[in-house]
Amino acid sequence: MLHRWLALCVAVLLPAAQGVPLVKPITVSAAVSLTDALTAVAEAYAKTGGTVRFNFAASNVLARQIVSGAPADVFISADEAQMDVVAAAGLVQDGSRVALLRNQLAVAVPNDRPRTFHSIREIAEPAFKRIAIGDPAAVPAGVYAKQYLEKEGLWTAVEPRIVPTGSVRAALAAVESGAADAAIVYRTDVRVALKATVAWIVPADRGPRIVYPAAIVKTTASASEANRFVNFLRSGEAARIFQRFGFATAF
Amino acid sequence: MIEPVWRITWFTIACAAGATLLILPPGVVLAWLLARRKFPGRGLVETFVSLPLVMPPVATGLILLMLLSRRGRVGALLERLGIEVVFTWKAVVLAMAIMGLPLLVRTARAGFEQVNVRYERVAATLGAPPARIFLTISLPLAWPSVLAGAVLAFARALGEFGATIIVAGNIPGATRTLAVAIYGYAETGQDSQAFALLLVSVSIAFVALWTANRLVERSTA
Amino acid sequence: MIDLDIDITQGAFQLSAKVRIEARAAALFGPSGAGKTTILDAIAGLRTPRRGSIAVNGRVLYSSDAGINVPTHQRHVGYVPQDVALFPHMLVRGNLLYGRHPGVSPDLDRVVRMLEIDGLLDRRVTDLSGGERQRVALGRALMSGPSLLLLDEPLAAVDVPLRRRILPYLQRVRDELTVPIVYVSHDREEVDLLADVVVMLEAGRIVSVERLARVELHGPTG
Repeated sequence: MLHRWLALCVAVLLPAAQGVPLVKPITVSAAVSLTDALTAVAEAYAKTGGTVRFNFAASNVLARQIVSGAPADVFISADEAQMDVVAAAGLVQDGSRVALLRNQLAVAVPNDRPRTFHSIREIAEPAFKRIAIGDPAAVPAGVYAKQYLEKEGLWTAVEPRIVPTGSVRAALAAVESGAADAAIVYRTDVRVALKATVAWIVPADRGPRIVYPAAIVKTTASASEANRFVNFLRSGEAARIFQRFGFATAF
Repeated sequence: MIEPVWRITWFTIACAAGATLLILPPGVVLAWLLARRKFPGRGLVETFVSLPLVMPPVATGLILLMLLSRRGRVGALLERLGIEVVFTWKAVVLAMAIMGLPLLVRTARAGFEQVNVRYERVAATLGAPPARIFLTISLPLAWPSVLAGAVLAFARALGEFGATIIVAGNIPGATRTLAVAIYGYAETGQDSQAFALLLVSVSIAFVALWTANRLVERSTA
Repeated sequence: MIDLDIDITQGAFQLSAKVRIEARAAALFGPSGAGKTTILDAIAGLRTPRRGSIAVNGRVLYSSDAGINVPTHQRHVGYVPQDVALFPHMLVRGNLLYGRHPGVSPDLDRVVRMLEIDGLLDRRVTDLSGGERQRVALGRALMSGPSLLLLDEPLAAVDVPLRRRILPYLQRVRDELTVPIVYVSHDREEVDLLADVVVMLEAGRIVSVERLARVELHGPTG
């Protein structure tokens, strides 16, 4: 009876196991916000004969996985802090860390009450009763938002009206649903929002330096392939793809 | 590479069904032992089995990751044997199994406890050893609860996210389940795709639960 | 033949019984709560005494001194509980054959004819009358080929006219098969009709052991 049971288990699990390719591609752990951009880049990369498989999740989850020894070959993080975590664990291949992409903060408002700011000070207006940002204690976008507001001397004035959310997408969702009157998110987020529009894009010279670093994980078994991919990420072709998705390049 | 919805769905169902099948024999036996036998360490076993039910799934995922990755105790051994678990479908099945086990054990145990112990005692006087009593008396009389427990475990496995993404990752084409795909779409602003997958997810769970309830009702009619 | 010397504690209830029973049919008689079923359970191995020993036909089933406690399924005792407890998920036939061990068990036909349940074999357990259930339970216990039959108030759940009809079956079992019977009862009339020996119990103590005068049959019948 046990044999039949095991046979049944194997039969049921067969479809699950079919996602295993013959030639082992490299595993790239990348911030989930880069899903669409990187998928397009990978398609272009495939034409040069290389294959990658992605692991998309929040940057802190990815960093945790790598530090615990999960088999990732390349890490692309949404902020420097998580890359630092991996570096501190001694898992960044020497000299492989590069600044890959840049992003900018933007203020989003519901599209049934559109606004265009002439200055960021307008966010302190009483009309904005609830301002959603990613939790400054944990979410990179929230950290950046707070840094920016502090630098502009607005933090103390708006802090009582700040609504911290669990992720930057949640902040955007709050604005789209009308639960918040404004949100500070990434420019790339508002781009795809259906019910929110941009009120203000933080200028590059005033805003925090938002960099998406990439690095090769030290314990990779495919160093040359990983190198080839990271180099492709910094090519002109990749840059054009990234720009299509709203990201500025840092190279 | 855009994965068609049917492929993600098929993968998720296969993993959830596989996970449920895997935990059925040990889960049902464990449920019976907890219901009918006093043994040393019983309290500890009870507690450990229930832990995944109350711990944040992310915490469970982290513990699995620590154990199974290259640096972990079990993972180092697996690496020497050439077996990969982290970032593969095996990790998906494992996470689903662990999250579903407490639901199966608790439901089946309640079922066994409702079987009149007199039947089991009489069976013993008729010469049946414990294994035979379990197979011929306890299990047949408690099967509706066992089935209900299995369905609950299956439904839980379908919706499993927190532990899965940590130990299996979100690898399109290899470990992306419905729940993980929904997360991915939501995080990139593709709400309509997320919603579509959500509907698929809920529909499957609905059908599974509804079918199981009908079966249980029929058996107790 | 049963050798009993046991102490059992259950909550506030304490039982202390020491007796040797030699009879074809022995009754444990007394008011409810006296400990009759407790002794039955102890012989069957469903309850473990605090200390003592139990031996049936010279075979030691339990001995606290020697560290022996034979598990229930190896004791070869047939047990018919007060609530009969026929397996609801099996037909009558399945119940009867559950404890069958080839070589040890009596012939099914013989048992079925003796208890007059031949027409019931393919019936569901829930479709049986009270008297039929008693007889099937008796047959099930007999079919396991026991060296001792334990009956807990076999006629208690049955109304008086039915009792008169079932009693002869018990007498038949006593007379035709060589299996000794120990049964629990609080009905004196039933005891007088069935038992060779009456063990009187009260509040956890054996008060008396009485051997009843009986007309002996000359040789087995049937």
